[in-house]
Amino acid sequence: MTNVPVETLNETQQPVPGAPNNWRRFFSFSTDHKVIGIQYIVTSFFFFLVGGLFAMIMRGELITPEADLIDRTVYNALFTMHGTVMLFLWTFPVLVGLANYLVPLMIGARDMAFPRLNAAAFWMVPVVGILLMSSFLVPGGPSQSGWWAYPPNSIQNPTGNLINGQVLWLLAVALSGVSSIMGAVNFVTTIARMRAPGMTLFRMPAFVWAVLSAQLIQLYGLPALTAGAVMLLFDITVGTSFFNPETGGNPVLYQHFFWFYSHPAVYVIILPVFGIFSEVFPTFARKPLFGYRVVAVSSILITFVSSLVWVHHMFASYTPGWMRILFMVTSMCVAVPTGVKVFAWVATIWGGKLRLDTPMLFALGGLVMFVFSGITGIMLASVPVDIHVNNTYFVVGHFHYVIYGATVLGVYAAIYYWFPKMTGKMYYEGLGKLHFWLTFIGANLNFFPMHPLGLQGMPRRVASYDPEFAFWNVLASLGAFLLGMSTLPFILNMVSSWIQGKPAPANPWRAIGLEWLVASPPPVENFEELPIVTAPPYGYGSNEPLTENLSPSNAAN
Amino acid sequence: MESSLETQTVSVASHAVEHEHDEAGNSKFGFIVFLLSESVVFLSFFGGYIILKTTTADWLPPGVTGLDTQEPLINTIVLVSSSFVIYVAERFLHKENLWGFRAFWLVTMAMGTFFLVGQAREWAGLPFGFTSGVFGGLFYLLTGFHGLHVATGILLQTIMLGRSFLPGNYDKGSFGVEATSLFWHFVDVIWIILFVLIYLWQ
Amino acid sequence: MNIRLILNLLLATIVLAAISVWMGQQSYAWLPPQAAAESKMVDDLFSFLVALGSFIFFGVTGAIIYSILFHRASKYDYSDGPPIEGNVTLEIVWTAIPILLVFWIAGISYQTYERMATHGPMEIVHLHVPGMEEAYAVAIEDTIDPDESIEVRARQWAWEFRYPDGVTSTELHLPVNQRVHLNLISEDVIHGFYVPAFRLKQDIIPDRTIDFEFTPVREGRYRLRDSQYSGTYFATMQTDVVVESEDAYESWLADASGHPPAESFNQAADEYYQASQKSVIPGWKTIAPAPAPIVNYPTSIKDSQS
Repeated sequence: MTNVPVETLNETQQPVPGAPNNWRRFFSFSTDHKVIGIQYIVTSFFFFLVGGLFAMIMRGELITPEADLIDRTVYNALFTMHGTVMLFLWTFPVLVGLANYLVPLMIGARDMAFPRLNAAAFWMVPVVGILLMSSFLVPGGPSQSGWWAYPPNSIQNPTGNLINGQVLWLLAVALSGVSSIMGAVNFVTTIARMRAPGMTLFRMPAFVWAVLSAQLIQLYGLPALTAGAVMLLFDITVGTSFFNPETGGNPVLYQHFFWFYSHPAVYVIILPVFGIFSEVFPTFARKPLFGYRVVAVSSILITFVSSLVWVHHMFASYTPGWMRILFMVTSMCVAVPTGVKVFAWVATIWGGKLRLDTPMLFALGGLVMFVFSGITGIMLASVPVDIHVNNTYFVVGHFHYVIYGATVLGVYAAIYYWFPKMTGKMYYEGLGKLHFWLTFIGANLNFFPMHPLGLQGMPRRVASYDPEFAFWNVLASLGAFLLGMSTLPFILNMVSSWIQGKPAPANPWRAIGLEWLVASPPPVENFEELPIVTAPPYGYGSNEPLTENLSPSNAAN
Repeated sequence: MESSLETQTVSVASHAVEHEHDEAGNSKFGFIVFLLSESVVFLSFFGGYIILKTTTADWLPPGVTGLDTQEPLINTIVLVSSSFVIYVAERFLHKENLWGFRAFWLVTMAMGTFFLVGQAREWAGLPFGFTSGVFGGLFYLLTGFHGLHVATGILLQTIMLGRSFLPGNYDKGSFGVEATSLFWHFVDVIWIILFVLIYLWQ
Repeated sequence: MNIRLILNLLLATIVLAAISVWMGQQSYAWLPPQAAAESKMVDDLFSFLVALGSFIFFGVTGAIIYSILFHRASKYDYSDGPPIEGNVTLEIVWTAIPILLVFWIAGISYQTYERMATHGPMEIVHLHVPGMEEAYAVAIEDTIDPDESIEVRARQWAWEFRYPDGVTSTELHLPVNQRVHLNLISEDVIHGFYVPAFRLKQDIIPDRTIDFEFTPVREGRYRLRDSQYSGTYFATMQTDVVVESEDAYESWLADASGHPPAESFNQAADEYYQASQKSVIPGWKTIAPAPAPIVNYPTSIKDSQS
């Protein structure tokens, strides 16, 4: 009944036999979700290195109190581009890439719902990158107004040119938004309608729940940013007065538009990472995900709550008291579903049979750093404390514990965990562990000192600072350089294992999940025969088969 | 979810086949998701409009007393009625009456064009421009952005009309027509809110 | 549950609580001196959050580290752990506790906020909503006598202060133990008035005057920084706040009013000038800084370090 012959399905697929061994398809307009996934991951990693280089130059400037290494305009352009590149060209696309690769496999689909839309959305990412990087070549240089681009600062145009860094920045962000919306429509449709028989909502892996929650945020949040960006673009280019106080506009309104999306955007990033944690911990603790349903539902709860918290970025921006208190309470409420997840992971690990392979190390490191950022997050939600540390390095530290500590470590965990599946090769465990320790130490050395700096009152986005702040800044800079170096063993590991690594079995971790029931790397169209799912996703220790028709031995060939 | 377990085995067969082949269903679902997302752009503009209107000291540009509502009201009636006309067109297609479909489809397009022309005439006669203060900017931004959607709708309708002459065009279903019609209703609903905000709330 | 487990848990909780209380006490040392009445309230709240946060952080990481140390699979043990899928009681407890904690924290934060608002700057900030203006107007006139206000003018990239009797300066002098009223004004982009020692911060939105008040309680010299990114020379937009006794303040005012206005040193204007003298410009074109302020009491180079 379900043995639908492969060749009658989806003629948009590449039917080239032996395609998995052909590296050229990674440079083509492929519609295979696995190819697109890897294209996303590799492209975004390139931009991760670019954004990291910007950060290291900034930390080089900050190693001394004076502005002596680079011109202030260059410093300001670098922190603007660092933020923009890291968000729009690294974290978003790398997680979309992972989701692209994994979601169809995990729900038992042969591809995404709209394969061509998927490819089109990916190919916008390099265009965004080129657009953004080209702003280094225009007169006046790249945008220097920070990745928030608050008017009226972002409206000021010292060169007077119509084509300037700020305009290119807006176009790049808008294009990235279009790409993300296309991706979000695709993910939501795929998850809602392409699940294999028997794959009910509460049999979906927690990662799929997390991706669904994150993509729903994109759908309701990005349009608001787009609206704000369009109005800002008109203010800059044709001189309208939406946000320009000189002509009666309201610059604070822009902040509402911006944060209505850009705070939930952090959940777009962190939710898939929660999903990664929820996959990695059960596998390496050999126990079911504790309270799976609660973990799944809490992702959706975060989606809803996160739409009502944005004003906590604006406690100091002329926000009336009732709004401050209201958004303080809603912001703190995010801690509840998030805390439930953290407890669930700890309970999953507790009493298990832990194996500290590289993915597990990264996931554990990421979890610890995430808990720390959650605690500073509560402090930031509390209005009186926030008034003091808002726009200081305390926020930068908190944010980087989320975005580097939890997210980047989580992404590394995912890459190591699914590397054998994606490439059919094993990575080198020793290099992986070295990479973990360099990253973990580097990240803490880099970002912990930012907290005392912020408490002492060092503002963010400064190219120079008072000498009293020098000590912690030197430490942070050393951490940044260490983080830069930590990517070297990773790149070495990935490249050399992909070329000459040991062949990976279909299921090197003895993990449970549909993606582990097919060969490594999975064939084009994933499943010769669609799986019929008969069990919830984390049956560790209970010897219950996941599907009716696929067994681990099927995938051995 | 547990309750569905029993029925699962029964529905499994149809489930699999349906999901693999129902590309039109996927497209429709995806299109609705997209429209919902798109509506947030408008909602954001509307939110911005409300906030700016209630907080701006000099709302109307100097010398402007308000907007004339008479012609826009006629425009509104025409555009909103076209939603019913396009529905009739769809019904005809459903009954496989192609010429009826084409006739009503064409009337919808004419009504949409009437709206656009009316709006263009209104724009031409206004004493303020895009850069005339906050109100001027918002007026042209909102009506312009909506007008762009109307134009897109007419373009889609033109394509669908052309396609209706291709033999065997509806053998695989009429997703294109349904989506265009859905888009048209969306554009109309947005206009009603816009009309209330800009013209009635002065 | 056996007695041993309960005792162990109890012991762990006590140790954790002790560490957390200690962390809370330490937290005061991480902050700048408490130079305003508001500082003390913020610090107490922060200390409470540090203690509570430490308890959670060390509790969670402690459990993780314990698992890593004692729940490792031996090298050839390929068996699975116990198939525990959840525990409803436990899950309800650890959902309910965060909810209670969140409302506890929110309640205490709100209390602090209210206390700061009754004699702090918090509630003074208001929207200029037509129609709502009247409702606020009474409250504002109650608290602020415009003649007594010090005008704070922020511009790219300088601070300028105008005192009630017309004296101007580029460093802010305030009498100790007195309620201070400031009118915050920006002439170009958004700036932020931030004195870390006061724990107070307020964005200054162009085209509106923002009323701000607080009470300095400790004499000394503190840093005033721009806290909202304002462009190229943002980092240089700093000056000093001098909190001094009423007498010292009055005599400073009298002294300053005797000086004819003179050009103050301004880091941004200075750097911009230096850069314009070079033949090769190392950066990109920037908005030109406003000219150095001309005030009764200017800052010299050695006073201002960035």
